[in-house]
Amino acid sequence: MKRIMFCRWLVSLLAAAAVPFASAQTADPVKVGVMLPLTGPAALAGTSILEGIRFAADEANAKGGVNGRQVQLFIEDDEGSSTKGVTAVRKLIESDKVVAISGTYVSAVALAASKVSKEHKVPMVSAGSTASSVTSANSAGDPWFFRAFPGTDEQAEQSARDIVKKLNAKKVVIIRENSIYGSSLTDQMKRMVPSFGGEIVGVESYNPDERDFYSVLTRIRARGPDAIYVAGLMDAGVQIIRQSREVGMKTQIVGSGSMMSDKLIELAGPASEGFAVSSMFEPSTPNRFGQAFARAFRGKFKKEPDVYSALGYDSMHLIIEAARRTKKVDGSAIQAALKSMNNVPLTQGPEGTVAKFDAQGSVSFKVGLAIVRHGKREWLPFD
Amino acid sequence: MNSLNLFLQFLANGVVTGAAYVLVAIGLTLIFGILNVVNFAHGEFYMLGGYAAVTASAVLGFPLIPTLVVTVVFLAAFGMAAEWLVFRPISGRDPNNAIIASFGLSILLQNGALVVFGAQPQTWKTDLAELPVQLGPVFLTGQRVLIVLITVVLVAALLLVLRYTWTGRALRAMAQHPVIAQISGVNVRKVAVVTFAIASALSGIAGALMSSVFMVQPTSGAMLVMKAFTVVILGGMGSIGGTVLAGLGLGTVEAMVSGYVGNEIRDMIGFLLVILMLLVRPRGLFGQSTERS
Repeated sequence: MKRIMFCRWLVSLLAAAAVPFASAQTADPVKVGVMLPLTGPAALAGTSILEGIRFAADEANAKGGVNGRQVQLFIEDDEGSSTKGVTAVRKLIESDKVVAISGTYVSAVALAASKVSKEHKVPMVSAGSTASSVTSANSAGDPWFFRAFPGTDEQAEQSARDIVKKLNAKKVVIIRENSIYGSSLTDQMKRMVPSFGGEIVGVESYNPDERDFYSVLTRIRARGPDAIYVAGLMDAGVQIIRQSREVGMKTQIVGSGSMMSDKLIELAGPASEGFAVSSMFEPSTPNRFGQAFARAFRGKFKKEPDVYSALGYDSMHLIIEAARRTKKVDGSAIQAALKSMNNVPLTQGPEGTVAKFDAQGSVSFKVGLAIVRHGKREWLPFD
Repeated sequence: MNSLNLFLQFLANGVVTGAAYVLVAIGLTLIFGILNVVNFAHGEFYMLGGYAAVTASAVLGFPLIPTLVVTVVFLAAFGMAAEWLVFRPISGRDPNNAIIASFGLSILLQNGALVVFGAQPQTWKTDLAELPVQLGPVFLTGQRVLIVLITVVLVAALLLVLRYTWTGRALRAMAQHPVIAQISGVNVRKVAVVTFAIASALSGIAGALMSSVFMVQPTSGAMLVMKAFTVVILGGMGSIGGTVLAGLGLGTVEAMVSGYVGNEIRDMIGFLLVILMLLVRPRGLFGQSTERS
């Protein structure tokens, strides 16, 4: 009997000790997952995007986080592979118990991972994956994968218009990566270029780790196109730009959005002069929210932000903003908050761009065009 | 542009990539032929060669020739270290152990490079890389021409060393019959070290030269080692002449396929050839029968 009494006393003592602990626990952090390719072929983009994501989380935490609760990031490397991506998203949801996920960059991985996140009712906000097919896979009106920028359909439509109308190119050759990203851009280009009065005179594909384009370019040279559109990632873009000049071509090259990087200009050197790229964000953006982001980013990292850091920033910023608008911070509430959002500004796009998701979970705004002149990208005004 | 000009350009493209295949595959075939080790980390020697050149030229500011010398010395030392730390302790056991160990070494080096150099592609900036060279209808750059020239010089030098020096004779003796070679006084340990040093240095030079053409990344060697294996199997394990022929052949066939058929099936063609070769002539073009008494 005495022993039981002692135990009770001990329990109540422990409980008393736990009380102040518990009250401190009400401000437990909001757990947000991040999945990105931090190793493997897409690591260059992944690490830049992560900088933007971390920047958004740090900025929010300095301002009191989510209604007084700090944002805690759980970061997983998906290596740009769908299998790893599915494992990563499962770990984030089942073991780390995150309420939302920022990610990922490779479209095929986003497509695979978004199926898992939908099943568990945890919303994902794209951190760079552009293929329209990922948001098309959402059930209309109930998206669990959000993309706060235009998908490949809109980007390719804009690029097709720019190539034909602004750059006055009629005969266009497409070089595309063998991936969802490359093929969805290409499919839309094939529809859009003729509709603006141009003509597709050839389509060439390459595998993501391809480095040698001499033969492909030699063959393209024989067709004499006015412009080459490259639907792929930055490292292949560098090779295509350099090697096209090496084989003696002077054809205008236009790159898809993932080639908007200062690194490309550095690696391609003088060959990048005149290269055009569709661009959603530049440090010189007319978008005032984007300007503020660029200033703060520059102040912290002592370098210019690029489209990757902007993508990462917007993705995390939206998740945090959505979490702030919920009473009980969980996956379903954040999804509802994202769906009803209509005034949260984005760093990308023209002045006044806000995250207003359509029924498929995509945001629409005008994609710009930048041209490299004197070793710097110059942004042509949105028309 | 007429079809002959197109063909000549494809041929030139093929010879340049083929030359890099040759340099990497020769090391692989030496290591296999002499030491009976299947080295999957060989592509990483190529990748490290690229980083050695980038570091020597960008960080230390070395010009072309000293950069190549630094690369050779560093990679030769690295090859020796790999032999000493990884392959020697497990030699004499089940050869499968060496395969697994080389896989492990490959992943270790890839991720090590990722930590040290980062995922960003880097390039060795040389004056030759931008220098246009036009041979009739064929466009190349100085760097690409240099790769072919250096391959010719190195292969010739290697053949001379193997033919006329004592070390070369020891290497050949080991390849032909290790037991008899040992009885005749060949120092097995020294042969192993020398083989790894030569193989690693050759692969490193290829990586250095290609880093100014295709850039270098931690995963640069991954596909290349598969291509090198293709070359070794086609040419015949342990045969240097076969490797040279198969390397240039594979480079040319790939260039023709991506030029005339389609770039997306380029990487398939080599492996298809390997399967056919294994079915029809398992020892390769010039391979010795691998059965030993």
